[in-house]
Parts: sequence; C-alpha cells; structure tokens
Amino acid sequence: MKKNKTMIICFTLPAIIVFLVMFLYPVIRTTMMSFFSMTSVSDPMSTWEFVGFGNYSELMKTSIFMTSMKNMLKIWFIGGIGVIFFALLFSVILTNGVRAKSFWRALIYLPNIISAVAFANMWIYYIFQKRFGMLHNIFAALGLDKLARTDYMNGDMKFWSLLIAFCFGSVGYFMLIFLSGIERLPQDYYEAATIDGANKVQQFFRITLPLLKGVFKTVLTFWTVSVVGFFVWSQMWSPNNSESQTITPVVYMYNIVFGNTGMSERMPGKGAAVGILMALVVLIIFFLVNRLFREDDLEF
Amino acid sequence: MAKKEKEKKVRDPFNPKREAKLIPGYVLLIIWVGFTILALLWILAASFSTSPEIMKGETMKFATGLHPENYAAAWTSNNIKVFFMNSAIYAVLGTVFTILISAPCAYVLARFTFLGNKVISSGFIVAMSIPQIMIVLPLFGLATKAHMTGTKLILILLYIGMQVPFTTTFLMTFFANLSRTYEEAAAIDGCSPMKTFWKIMLPLAQPGIVTVGIFNFMNIWNEYFISLIFGATEKNMSVGPGLKSVLTSMQYTGNWGGLFAAVIIVFLPTFIIYIVLSEKIIAGVTGGGIKG
Repeated sequence: MKKNKTMIICFTLPAIIVFLVMFLYPVIRTTMMSFFSMTSVSDPMSTWEFVGFGNYSELMKTSIFMTSMKNMLKIWFIGGIGVIFFALLFSVILTNGVRAKSFWRALIYLPNIISAVAFANMWIYYIFQKRFGMLHNIFAALGLDKLARTDYMNGDMKFWSLLIAFCFGSVGYFMLIFLSGIERLPQDYYEAATIDGANKVQQFFRITLPLLKGVFKTVLTFWTVSVVGFFVWSQMWSPNNSESQTITPVVYMYNIVFGNTGMSERMPGKGAAVGILMALVVLIIFFLVNRLFREDDLEF
Repeated sequence: MAKKEKEKKVRDPFNPKREAKLIPGYVLLIIWVGFTILALLWILAASFSTSPEIMKGETMKFATGLHPENYAAAWTSNNIKVFFMNSAIYAVLGTVFTILISAPCAYVLARFTFLGNKVISSGFIVAMSIPQIMIVLPLFGLATKAHMTGTKLILILLYIGMQVPFTTTFLMTFFANLSRTYEEAAAIDGCSPMKTFWKIMLPLAQPGIVTVGIFNFMNIWNEYFISLIFGATEKNMSVGPGLKSVLTSMQYTGNWGGLFAAVIIVFLPTFIIYIVLSEKIIAGVTGGGIKG
C-alpha cells in the first residue's frame, strides 16, 4: 500500500501543479484585481489601489463596453438559434439512413479543424467580396441586382456577415454532439413507435427531442463558452481598429490591457472586471440551463 | 466502425421509395457541403493566380498559367516559414508534454481511490469551462516577473497547461475501461505498479493517446488568443497571428496571390491530418467529457 501512495503522489503532482498555477491562482488573482486599480498587469499587489466595485460601475457607464455586451448577446441568441437548428437538422438527416454518412459528417465538421484566421480569409476575400465574391455572383446570376450590390463588409451588414461566418463553422461541432446523443438512443423506441403508426416527424418531436434533454444542456453550455470567448473572428472583421459593429467583450478587454490602438491608458483592473463578468455569464447560463433541463432519472 | 458501416451498405439494397424520402436531406447536405468545397477550391485557385487576375474575378481561368511562385513568395518573404516552424514546435512539444503529464495522472485517478481523487477530477472539469479571459491577466503578470515574455518557452508551457484538464479527463475514461486483469497478472509476476503503468498500461492506452494527441496538436496549431498576447514578436508568432500580420502587410503590397498561398500553407497540415484520421478526430470530439 505504501508503494501505491508514492505512486499516487508522483503521478498526480505534475498535473496538480499545472492546475494550481494555470487555473486556481489566476482565477483568484483576477477576482482580486477586479476590485483594484493598477497601471500594469505585473504590478506587485502592494501598489494596487482599492476601488471596490468602481471598475464594474465604470464599465457599465462605458458605452463601447455596453455595445460589446449587446453584440455578444445578439451572437448568443440569434446565432445560437441558427446553429442549434442546423446542427439538429443535419444530425437528424444523417441518422435517418442517408448514404455516405461519414463523408457528410466529416465535411460539415471540416471548418472546425481549419485555422480560424485562414477560414475567415475565405469569407472576407471571397464569399462576401463585393465585386467578384461568391454571393455577388450568385445574386447577379439570379438577377437580384439589389442583393448583388450589397456590401457585406461595411455598415450594419458587417455584424451579420460576421455572425453568419462564425455560425457556419460552429454547426459542425454541435452536430457531432447531437449525433452522438441520438446514436445512443435505444432503437426499439422507434420500432415501437413505427408499429403504432407514428411518422418520422412525430417520432422526432415525441421521442428524440425529449430524450435529448441532457445533450441540450451540454450544447447550450458549450455554445455559451464559445460565444463568451469570441475574439479572433471579431479581429478579422475589424483588423485595424475595433468597430462598434464587431466588438465583443474579449476584444474590449484586449484593447484596454494589451492594446496599442490609440488608447493610451491601460486599465488591467477594468480588464479583470470584464473577465469576472464573462465568467459570471457562463455560470448563470450554466445554472439556468440546469434548472430548465432538469434530468428526470431516465435510464436507457 | 468504418468497416461496420460498409457492411451495412452492402446489405442495404437500393430502395427507390426509401431513397425518395431522403431527397430533401440530400439536397440540403449537397448545398451546405458544396458551398464549403467551392469556397476552398476558389482559395486554392487564387493561390495559383496573379493579383490582377484575382482582382478581376478571373481566378478559375488561369489565363496566364499557374503561378506556384506565389508559394515561394509567401514561404520566404512573408515570413510564413518562421510562423510555420514556430507552430510546429509549439504543437509537437505541447502535445508530447501534455500527454506525459496527463496520462499518469489520469491512470491514478481512474484506478485508485484516495483522499482528494474526486476533488482533483472535478477540478479539471471545472477548469475546462473557465474562459481564457479570466486567467490570462495573472498569467501575463507571472510571465513578466519570470522574464519569460518574448520567449518560445512561455508559449509551450501555456499550451501544455491549457490542454492538461481536457487530456486528463479524456484519458481517465479510457483507462477506466481497460481490464484490471492486466495489472493483476503483472503483480503476480512481480512487476511494480509504476513499472506496470509504463510497460503495460500506457501502451494499452495507445488508441486513446493517439486520439487526444491529434486533437491537442490541432488545437495548438490553430490557437490564436494566447499566441497573440504571449508571442507578439515576429520571431515567436504562430501561424494564426502570423497569417493576420501577412494580411495586414498585404493590404499595402497588394500581392493577393501570395496571401492566398499563405492561407493554403497554414491550412494544409491540419487538413492532411484530418483527411487521414477524421474518424479518430471525430471520436475525440464526442468522447471526452461529453456525457450528455
């Protein structure tokens, strides 16, 4: 037994150290930083100035931060509906006896394995390009002149083009989660339903959806985490200066802590407060989702 | 898995009535997937075209022939060579060390009951959903204090740390499913528990290690946020921020062919891995932590 003890310690220690240094310590320090004011991230704690909830109340009064929160909420809600709809739709199509299932599945997931910068390039310089882009050509061929002349990379359209491009790539990931959920459902439920005369649509709403409750919980949590971390796509859509159509909280935080885009003053305390707010968003959604989709102890 | 599906296909005779019902599904799939393929093909074509051709929208015609020199230009003068090598270093070292740290821990957590076992494993699960924005500031402070900003080492360390929670959780389920008879047999033959792990259990877990390893490799290769903050200088940049800096400079030089060649170069490594191992990668997405 003594031998096992040394083994347990030796084997877990490196991972525990990683956990303490990389996760526990930063979380505690960020929380503390959010209540203080300082000039640089690396300032020692003794030079920090306590401001209470000052960072938070200032953030609430900063219009660009509130815009970024609004953008994030829009991406979460509108994008979420779109992504979940298509992910669910494709997972149902793929589990209903379509041929070459793994081929389709692999291609729908493909955007997730490509560098987001490379993928964003494809959208910006080809699909949304206003003179020779794919959408322009399609609409021009269909004779829809007004749509063909739309500039997707400017003005109000900028937000929507960003949303579409981001969501398009996300569908594959959530489709895989739904797929693995549907594949685990027992086949005899469907057989029984078919014998009783239920059609495919009824089977989907009466059997598949209710049994996927747990999977929905996972999907909503992961979707929230991915929207909260929304950064690279926003940077690609506004490469030089963050614009109000595309700014998100993480971009705002990056600008006020590490940025060099004209903002002279750096405010790590406020940046930390943004971090805390984002973590709170994830937590709140997590609890709401757990309440909404309470697990009835289904065994199958 | 793939084999099983093939067998099923042979057994499934062509049934026109059944297939007809699936037509709307096929149409949707073809539109969605066709869109992706078309856009990727256009990028590939653009990477072999000249800038004026791209600007005129005549990429697919190749009126002046193919222009592989775009790739040479992107590789050397645009510094893609440097970014590519950096990313390779980060991804390979990050993946290897993550597994060296995670696998033993996962094994012990899956096999032994001891005080704190539950705390450690749920700690890793929580760590997986902490937003990066929440931890990045103190980490930057630590790196500055240790004079490690502007080095490649700090990025390797951070990538290892970022991947450990997921990797440990993933491998835990894998080890838990291995039969205990291996260890019993080894113990009877007088093999110490530690030796049993390195000599018997780790090789047995190879399929799981390969899956999670590829997954980590691609994650690190495509990572952007951490790389931007900690590898801000050109010599330490990985492909993500590197490609973005190429893009910015391209707006002044106007060499669009070179830009798309750079996009293809960054895209190829993960794409090739994906073509060869897509089944394993997809298994990795749905296997770890997601229990539904």
